[in-house]
Amino acid sequence: MRLIALAAAVVLISSGAAQAARKSKKAAPAQTTLVKKAAPTLPAEKLAKVRALLLGDDDAAAVEAAKALGQSGASNAIEPLIDLLSVGAAPARTEAAVDALGALADPRSIDVLEGYAGHHSPDVRRRAVKALGAIKDEHVVPPLLTALGDVAPDVRAAAADALAARKEAKAAPRLLELVKRNDAGAAPALGLLATPELVPQLAELQGAVDDNVVASALGEYIKRPDVSDGLRVDVVHTIGRLSGAAATTALIEYMASVPAKDDRPSKKEAQKIIDDKGTAK
Amino acid sequence: MTTRASRFGLALALTVTWGWGCATSAYKRAGSSDDVAAALAKRGAVADRPSNAAGRPLAFLALAGAKGPRLAAYDLAQSRVLWTQPADMKARVEVGADVVIYAAADALVARDIGTGAERWRHAIDKDERLLGYTIDERTAFLVVQKGGAHLHGGAAWLTALDGATGAVRWHQTLPSANAGAPAARGGLVAVPLQSQYVGLYDGQSGEQLAQVLSSEEAATFVRALPEGLFFGSRGVFRLSPETAAGSRKSSGYLRATLPAFVRPVYWFDLYRPEQGDYSALDRNRILWRMTPSGAARFRDDLAFVHNYRFFFGFDARTGALKWAYNHPATEAVASAQLGDTLAFVTADGELGALDAHTGARTFSAKLPGEVVRGATFDAEGWAPRGGAAGAPAPLSETLSAIVWDPDRRFWDVKMFAIEELARQPGREVTAQLLKITEQEGLPPAVYQKAGEALIARKDASAADLLARVLTTHADYAENRAAPAVEILARAAGAMKATPAAPALVMHLRRPETPPAATTQIARALAAIGATDALPALRDFVTMYRADPLYDGDPTPLVAASEAMLALGGPAERQLLLYLSEEPHTVEPLRVHLRRALAQTGGVDAPARTAAAADE
Repeated sequence: MRLIALAAAVVLISSGAAQAARKSKKAAPAQTTLVKKAAPTLPAEKLAKVRALLLGDDDAAAVEAAKALGQSGASNAIEPLIDLLSVGAAPARTEAAVDALGALADPRSIDVLEGYAGHHSPDVRRRAVKALGAIKDEHVVPPLLTALGDVAPDVRAAAADALAARKEAKAAPRLLELVKRNDAGAAPALGLLATPELVPQLAELQGAVDDNVVASALGEYIKRPDVSDGLRVDVVHTIGRLSGAAATTALIEYMASVPAKDDRPSKKEAQKIIDDKGTAK
Repeated sequence: MTTRASRFGLALALTVTWGWGCATSAYKRAGSSDDVAAALAKRGAVADRPSNAAGRPLAFLALAGAKGPRLAAYDLAQSRVLWTQPADMKARVEVGADVVIYAAADALVARDIGTGAERWRHAIDKDERLLGYTIDERTAFLVVQKGGAHLHGGAAWLTALDGATGAVRWHQTLPSANAGAPAARGGLVAVPLQSQYVGLYDGQSGEQLAQVLSSEEAATFVRALPEGLFFGSRGVFRLSPETAAGSRKSSGYLRATLPAFVRPVYWFDLYRPEQGDYSALDRNRILWRMTPSGAARFRDDLAFVHNYRFFFGFDARTGALKWAYNHPATEAVASAQLGDTLAFVTADGELGALDAHTGARTFSAKLPGEVVRGATFDAEGWAPRGGAAGAPAPLSETLSAIVWDPDRRFWDVKMFAIEELARQPGREVTAQLLKITEQEGLPPAVYQKAGEALIARKDASAADLLARVLTTHADYAENRAAPAVEILARAAGAMKATPAAPALVMHLRRPETPPAATTQIARALAAIGATDALPALRDFVTMYRADPLYDGDPTPLVAASEAMLALGGPAERQLLLYLSEEPHTVEPLRVHLRRALAQTGGVDAPARTAAAADE
């Protein structure tokens, strides 16, 4: 118990993130109020018990406690999790706590998650990036953009997915650079975020990078409702010139995404290309 | 044992045997200083001028390429080719007063210096072996072996030929068939024998005048220069009564102090036929001249190193670098010290000269479209003026250019250039060293060398430059690697580079920063006194303190916690106390923290402090 008490004391000095999380409650009362209105609060006694489990000797119990906190949706559930990450823990607890923060998606955890997005373990980084992506706050964008430069493909893919889900257009140039390096994990996100100006650059990568990667990006692009059908037809033709299963899959998925009654030209072109490929076989 | 060493060992063994059991040995007077003195007394005066009768500074170029093998004579003073003749040369050109001679496949060939026309041809019979040749004004000398294998068995003799006609003047049987190419000047002919002796012969009569016994070092070469006759291998003996017995302790022996990358070739091994021809050895050797009298010294105490495209001038006594020259793009295939000038010719036909004292380029000419495979200079005393002369580039600039030269073959030279660069003063030099650490794809030893130089310089004036380099980090999307953080952090600590602290903190938080670099970052932050780094240090220690990866080697955690203790106060001590007691903290770190806390104020001190603060 002395240790847990000491931990509680040192948490306040151990991490800028922990301090930031606490300060943000004071500094942004409106936001906090909103959170409080939308979410339940754990009683202090229960919170203390969960904190004891998180910091205690039993690894399995700590992991379960972290999961429970994440599932609680409680507005004060992030505090013991941030406390745990602020004093550090063995990998299993760290991962569970990061996942739980992702489930809670509380902007007050951005600082601590950003720190763990720089962890030496790629798996921890991937989880932290994913957790950041779950938070609806613009402050997560810079660390997500940074994570696109991570050496680990899984981390980059997590960042790309998160940025695409946020429709973060400023990620497109970096995603294009990744696609140029044959990064398959970046391709779908690029398809979702690419501007019409980027599409020719993407199409020109044919031959320079894996056709499957290009097809994956273009396949996502043509499924977007904001793309004109004229441009879509051009892209369908480009996909038709690509080799590999991903090109065919992209066209089939595109046709499947179009309502049956919709007889748009791009759909017809996609069908024609698939038919031609089938005939050729 | 190398071929040369075994040859020397055998020769020494034979000498000992003969010395004890063979009073009539052909070498019984070897090492006699009286004999050497008498031989040298017969040597005529030699002027400091070219050997050719016209006294013109000439270069004889062995040309190759589409036009076939040819020999060209080039007048350096007039910057023009005098003549070119087809010539299938098998060995070097030697220059006399009126003719040049060279070995063809089956003969020694003489050509007129003025026209290149063939003057005569001395056949080498099929059962003979031409071991080497030279020419002294109007007499050519050749050493020929007959029978046996190369340098073993059979007999060898020294022959003198009339330079004008090729007629034989005399033959002298040599005491051994194990003989090398001769050297001659001023009427005295020197022939290396059995790697240990140098026979001295009268050029007029062929009479043997003396024998040098090189008792402490193999004599693989003899060399004739205006200032004297020389022999040696790993060093140079100036022929004199003092060196008659080949003692390295004599004042006539000299070796230059040179850096490790230098191949210690003072002259060609005249026992090895392949070195009788132009070869890679011509491109990588020491250039030297000596004082003519008194205790042996290199001329102006300078020795030069030709290393393919690079030339260096050294203080031969100390090894201190005086100047450096970096020839762009193509290798110099031949070079010579001609007094105060170093002359060279490149593989693509560029002729050049450098001031021996400064390394300044003093001459430049070009043979367009030619491929040069070797050259012999006959231009003693040539001192071009007004050609491409100009002040030499600052040494630091040249050294930088060598380091950044795209040719990846010369890492030993580049390492030396970095070492020398580090000795140069100035912020710009520090910038160059930093630039090396930024370059990708260099051998690790190069980063290491540049980093060590940076650390040793402690150039606080360049702290901002260091900080700038450190602001870069790895980014896969931008295909960018991290800088050499470990080395740069050490340098930052050594120079107490306060401006670098934020960048060091950034790298401390980066996932790609390796543990060794993290250790150095923590130490640097402590050395700098970067209290602003405390949050990052705290985050690092807490984030990894329970990571089993650090169970084996907790050095980075230890370094970071040490930095916290050095920079922080009671709050940091309290955190470290917690970590020292928390069972999930890796054991080596816990042990260290307990000891460190005890040594710096007691384990309980932080707790008491915190308790007091609460009260």
